[in-house]
Amino acid sequence: MLRKKTCVAMLLAGGQGSRLGILTKNVAKPAVPFGGKYRIIDFPLSNCTNSGIDTVGVLTQYQPLELNAYIGSGAPWDLDISNGGVFVLPPYQKAKSGEWYRGTANAIYQNMAFIEQYNPDYVLILSGDHIYKMDYNAMLNFHIRHGADATIAVREVPWEEASRFGIMNTDSEDRIIEFEEKPKNPKSNKASMGVYIFTWDKLRHYLTEDEKDKKSSNDFGKNIIPNMLGDKQVLVAYSFNGYWKDVGTIESLWEANMDLLETPMPIDMHDKKWRIFARNPGMPPHYIAKGATVSDTLITEGCEVYGHVSHSVLFAGVVIEEGASVESSVIMPGSVIKRGAVVRRSIVAENAVIGAGAIVGEEEGNVAVVGQGITLPAGVSVAAGQQVDESFTF
Amino acid sequence: MKDVMGIIYTGEGDAQLRELTITRAIAALPVASRYRVIDFLVSSMVNGGIKNIGVIMQKNYHSLMDHLGSGKEWDLHGKIDGLHILPPFLTRENVGIYPGVLDALRSNTNFLIRSKQETVVLSNSSIIYNAKMDELLKFHQESGADLTLLYTKDESMKRNESGTYLAIDENQNVVDIEVDPTHPSHDNTYMQVLVMKRELMRELVDKAVAHGLHSMDRDVIQQLVRDGHATVKACEYKGLCWRIDSVQSFFKFNMDILDPKNSKGIFRDDMPIFTKVRDEMPAYYGDHCNVINSIVADGCQIEGTVENSVLFRGVKIAPNAHVKNCIIMQDGQVHEGAYIENCILDKQAIIKRNSRLIGPQAYPIVIAKDVVV
Repeated sequence: MLRKKTCVAMLLAGGQGSRLGILTKNVAKPAVPFGGKYRIIDFPLSNCTNSGIDTVGVLTQYQPLELNAYIGSGAPWDLDISNGGVFVLPPYQKAKSGEWYRGTANAIYQNMAFIEQYNPDYVLILSGDHIYKMDYNAMLNFHIRHGADATIAVREVPWEEASRFGIMNTDSEDRIIEFEEKPKNPKSNKASMGVYIFTWDKLRHYLTEDEKDKKSSNDFGKNIIPNMLGDKQVLVAYSFNGYWKDVGTIESLWEANMDLLETPMPIDMHDKKWRIFARNPGMPPHYIAKGATVSDTLITEGCEVYGHVSHSVLFAGVVIEEGASVESSVIMPGSVIKRGAVVRRSIVAENAVIGAGAIVGEEEGNVAVVGQGITLPAGVSVAAGQQVDESFTF
Repeated sequence: MKDVMGIIYTGEGDAQLRELTITRAIAALPVASRYRVIDFLVSSMVNGGIKNIGVIMQKNYHSLMDHLGSGKEWDLHGKIDGLHILPPFLTRENVGIYPGVLDALRSNTNFLIRSKQETVVLSNSSIIYNAKMDELLKFHQESGADLTLLYTKDESMKRNESGTYLAIDENQNVVDIEVDPTHPSHDNTYMQVLVMKRELMRELVDKAVAHGLHSMDRDVIQQLVRDGHATVKACEYKGLCWRIDSVQSFFKFNMDILDPKNSKGIFRDDMPIFTKVRDEMPAYYGDHCNVINSIVADGCQIEGTVENSVLFRGVKIAPNAHVKNCIIMQDGQVHEGAYIENCILDKQAIIKRNSRLIGPQAYPIVIAKDVVV
């Protein structure tokens, strides 16, 4: 018998993240590397651990292999405990049916039995799309204090961008009176962050009802939230003001990496009370050779720098050979930039090799991308905004 | 699964390491930006398939215990065997401080009895190596020796008045042993790693201690070689190794690692060295920093100049600070305008603004833990 939990977290990690192009060809978006030694999922998982939430279901569907291997036993996040911990929850066959997750709400619906094991009072719904540090426990207290049925984390976005988001219109007491998905004429600039806390009894009811509706798209934003509002349930908006970055596109992923190079860092990654945990590659310390130049750059274990690097983020085991130059770029684990190659404003995915004298990206324009495991022949050029995968012809 | 267990003895003398070993055993000494000496020994054993490892603690073992924890980082936290921390304890015949490795093993006879493996590898902890333990074990089994000693021909391992040196015949039999000679006359330095049957170890230890003996090398191995009662063979280790027995040798090891030839020799993809992780973010290099020929760990923030140095996790080098030929341990700080050369800063040491500290290369300055200069 598992002991009762106050709050169980469910992390939606099944999306493909197709806007990340070739970066999510073989991996699910939450497993995309970020910030020199992390993957996107480290942020919500570490937030859970730091918030005292020790039971997390991770709902996977698209290309789960790498994500599953990465999560493993959950030890890097202290989630390898006996009463709770982290659980990977793929879709599964049932006696009478068996199907893929049809929508965010359906994914939770199909895993109600997992949640019920812990008999929780509340359920926290998360996604694996954002870089942020947030105290979910403070949000839970807010939810309890307001006697809410559902609490939606919101952040104020610039008014001119509000029409791109799901917008919450609230009264003076933070109670949500209306929810508009991508409104043409927004009445508020409070955008949903896709982080929800539900009182479990209510959510169970609404998920069950939603399943009966054959026309529903089984989505939190499109169905569950509007239905609850329609029934005059208590929905409140919890304002979050910290750093929050969607990394759903190549440009935003690149920008979020570059944000870590700002002084002061917009997201404090040195905070010892709120560490972001990650699975450690266990490589030796990195080496900066004689003749190398490095500025405004993040470098981690296993890297060897013989060339020039500025305004960039290097992941574990990256080698920058003599005379190579890397500028405003993100070089993911295990990649090698050969002698004399120039990489600018680019993302080089894992285990790629940029051949000697090759030129990737341009000083201006869109971010160029070299896909996982690609070997770029010596001397070739990749223009700004181009994505290089196996189908690319040189 | 291999039928072998490991024991690491961490009670060696450390007088020449000055402030560095006031609060810790040699085994717990921080080295190469993110490791401790014991990481190399435990990782070698684990990579060689050994899953039952006892670490005999002596004095100041808190930092060592803290570092090893449950053994999780080495995958030694399983239900079957795993890591066993063996601190000294008081009994009628044991007063807690071991005069030698024999006494330490005698005190931990229970660990030997309880273990199930047939063979045991015993290692000291003042020599850094990354050995293929499975090859050593294979040698031991195939040669039919009762006792196999690991040795190196590396000249830099020789010391006057300390160390154990072997004479070996063409069949790899040990024919003579010198312990702490004024000038070693043999070129083969015993690396303080040996293999024998668990039962034999128990018997030898028991007999020796019963006769009031303390030294494994002098009182047991040398005796066996002289009497010819057992076959003692030697297996050559051809990899890199360093003896950490003084501030100078500690300094030299760290500086040697700056040479990629050395670091690639000891840190091998097929034999990784595991250590406790600290979840620091990657190191940040500022706009005007100047770093050459240095190794740097995660969590560092570098704004100044760093040459030929080894920086541990969380070290901060301020703008216009200059660090040359230094070892700066975890969370050390060098403030603006300071210049330090040939210094070893222990954990959390701070060099304040505009200080100058230049040690002679042959005798680096050691700044103790938490000291502010």
